[in-house]
Amino acid sequence: MTSGVKLLAGALIVAVAIGYLAFLGAAGNWQYYLSVDEAVADEVELAGKRIRVSGNVVAGSLRVSDDRREAEFDLTGKLHSLHASCSCAIPDNLADDMDVVVEGELAADGMHGHKVVTRCASKYQPKVAIAERVESPGTSVTR
Amino acid sequence: MRVLGEGCLLLSFISTGYAAFLSVAPGPGLDRLRPRLALWAAVVGLAALSITMAVLAWGLVGRDYGFEYVSQYASQLLPWQYCLSALWVGQAGSLLLWAWMMGAFALILRLSPAADATVRNTAFGIVMANVCFLVAVMVFAADPMAPSLTVGDQGRGLSPLLQHPSMLVHPPIVFASYAAWTVPCALALAALWSGRVGASWIQLARPWALVAWTLLGVGLLLGAHWAYQELGWGGYWGWDPVENGSLLPWLTGTGCIHAMLAWRHRDCLKTTALSLAVVTLALCNFATFLTRSGIFSSVHAFSESPIGWMFLGLMTVLVAVCAVLVVRRRTLLHSEWSFDCLIARESLICISVFLLLLLTAVVMAGTLVAPLSKVFAGRTIQVGPAFYNHVLPPIGLAVLAMTAAVPLLRWGSPPRRAQRRLMAICLALGVVVAVVAFVCGVRHPLAIAVVALAALAAVAPAAALLHDAWRREAPTSWQDCLSALRNGRRQYAAYSIHVGLLCVAVGVTGSSLGKKQREVILAEGDAIQWEGRQIQYLRLEQSQLADKWVAEAVLKVARNGDDPVTLRPARHLHLLQDQWTTEVAIDSRWSGDLYTILRAGLGDGRVSLTLVDNPMIRWIWVGGMLCAASAVVAVLPLLRPRGVTRLSIAARSEHETGPPMSDAA
Repeated sequence: MTSGVKLLAGALIVAVAIGYLAFLGAAGNWQYYLSVDEAVADEVELAGKRIRVSGNVVAGSLRVSDDRREAEFDLTGKLHSLHASCSCAIPDNLADDMDVVVEGELAADGMHGHKVVTRCASKYQPKVAIAERVESPGTSVTR
Repeated sequence: MRVLGEGCLLLSFISTGYAAFLSVAPGPGLDRLRPRLALWAAVVGLAALSITMAVLAWGLVGRDYGFEYVSQYASQLLPWQYCLSALWVGQAGSLLLWAWMMGAFALILRLSPAADATVRNTAFGIVMANVCFLVAVMVFAADPMAPSLTVGDQGRGLSPLLQHPSMLVHPPIVFASYAAWTVPCALALAALWSGRVGASWIQLARPWALVAWTLLGVGLLLGAHWAYQELGWGGYWGWDPVENGSLLPWLTGTGCIHAMLAWRHRDCLKTTALSLAVVTLALCNFATFLTRSGIFSSVHAFSESPIGWMFLGLMTVLVAVCAVLVVRRRTLLHSEWSFDCLIARESLICISVFLLLLLTAVVMAGTLVAPLSKVFAGRTIQVGPAFYNHVLPPIGLAVLAMTAAVPLLRWGSPPRRAQRRLMAICLALGVVVAVVAFVCGVRHPLAIAVVALAALAAVAPAAALLHDAWRREAPTSWQDCLSALRNGRRQYAAYSIHVGLLCVAVGVTGSSLGKKQREVILAEGDAIQWEGRQIQYLRLEQSQLADKWVAEAVLKVARNGDDPVTLRPARHLHLLQDQWTTEVAIDSRWSGDLYTILRAGLGDGRVSLTLVDNPMIRWIWVGGMLCAASAVVAVLPLLRPRGVTRLSIAARSEHETGPPMSDAA
């Protein structure tokens, strides 16, 4: 066996071992990332599973506790809406009509969130957002 | 002004395209004139881009809301420095800055002396083609000079999260690194295209690769520092797709630089070095695709845009062209080297490059699992930090072990007897440090391994220095050590980078494994004991500034009888955006940070606070700074080699190789 073949065999063994480790890591740590409509459509199947749901906070539905460790709001998609109650550090910029991602479990009374991620209104706005702003001046362009 | 900027943008599109055409496309006649014409076209293109940038900067600082870009990112309340930083915050402005930097680097490459002018001039053309691509994206899809349809007397202003000193320098440095990586990639493609694949390519490409690698590393560090200081969650890296996007080219770039070294000293890993130069730029474009395509869900919230797909197209073209050229030039890239001796430098480099590529593959897989699962399984699946923490430590530890051991090895043969003895002493010291760490209470195997490797990495360069000084057949003195240090400046700078990386590893391990968090509600005068500190809440102070309302909790923190320090975690209400932000306060020491977050004021003087104990985190910033400083030392002599003039460079032979035991930078 030449040194090149030995080298290739060794690299292959290590790569397979890391691949297996990656498979184990992914198998124990993956989550579905769903829209509100997808989550509501498969509500029964997803019950009790840890998932992430993205949606828009319905205007007027947001309630945040004084110590900012709990929040309740309705998330809306294109067709359905979903109630979310979150017990975690609530982001500063969580507000009505904002796109958020809630991580937690789906139950009969809605999402029980352990983490809320808001999108930071920062960079690289596309032209479509600019057009929307012109149509309705004063509204947020955050998407 | 806006029309002037628009005209200059169009002029730069034409002139950069013309410069690229003249440099790359073959054509009859004008042989002596073509390079000069290309150079002047590039100068005109860069001048036009500079004017466009100046016009936009003028508009931002002067708050000229006739520009759509200015009305999106500037405001009357925004300090001028953040108005200027808006230049690289938005889509169009960032592309403009990127194109300008790339154009400037292209001219520096073209005007620098080179052993192989043919490869350099072709590479110059390829870089100019990339500049032309960026300008085309601006002209057709993201115009920085676009007029505002509704001119008002106030803009939207910059997101409060981006109003941080790190944001003044982090994005330009990342874009500078992306622009700098264009040069080694272009040199690789030019060398493969022209069939002039020799040591002169390394001489041309290595300084650029080192500069680009350093800039990207500093950019990553500043980004992590911004996240730590500004996002208020106590961490610095979240394995977000955007963060991963910038990490990928850094990993392959590290592999590229080491493959160049092996090529230079042992005439091996040629295909790897050339391919990785191209792949690194391709991954820079991939990072741009991640941030601007909208296919990922990220805290960075980049929206759907056709621009990202243009960069994915460019990435595909780069990889495809490189693959075709490598196959076409396979005979030129053949190496006689064989993997005979395991404990030689080139063998360790070979293994390290393989491990770095494995790291790249794992990070890439974790990043792409979301869009791929959507396409193939119909549902989006994501993996979080737990996936990376599960898979990366074994590979990372192996890379760290190589990094720590390499100073005591030689090129091409096993270590000599003296080196083996030094190696045994260093290993013994590493074991002793591991035992001491265990006795001091460190129990996690990963932490013990990292501490031992860090000790090995710290003493190995010192042992190598002693060995180098010792070889001079005289009693070893400080002068001998200094002389060895001076003669092997780049080599010891490289070792110093390794030590810096081990410091970063210590910080990452300590802060990941030992992080503790506590939520408290305190009334005025309340004090608690936590993690060896006495933390007393004194009062809540409120004030009104021009652009924000500020609430600060004043804390007195005393530790182990030291003088108490005052921390002021705060919450700011930014009036223009009507948005709250958290401003953390940190007591930073070598043993760890106390990271305090003001969650809310609860009335009656009570406040809700989050306290985070982040061990060893200062090691990350200091280790990163050591890497950057050492890289500067490694690069500077390369830019102006001693005793090498323009004529002597031109006279060098195509197959020149460096001395076997020096110059590991």
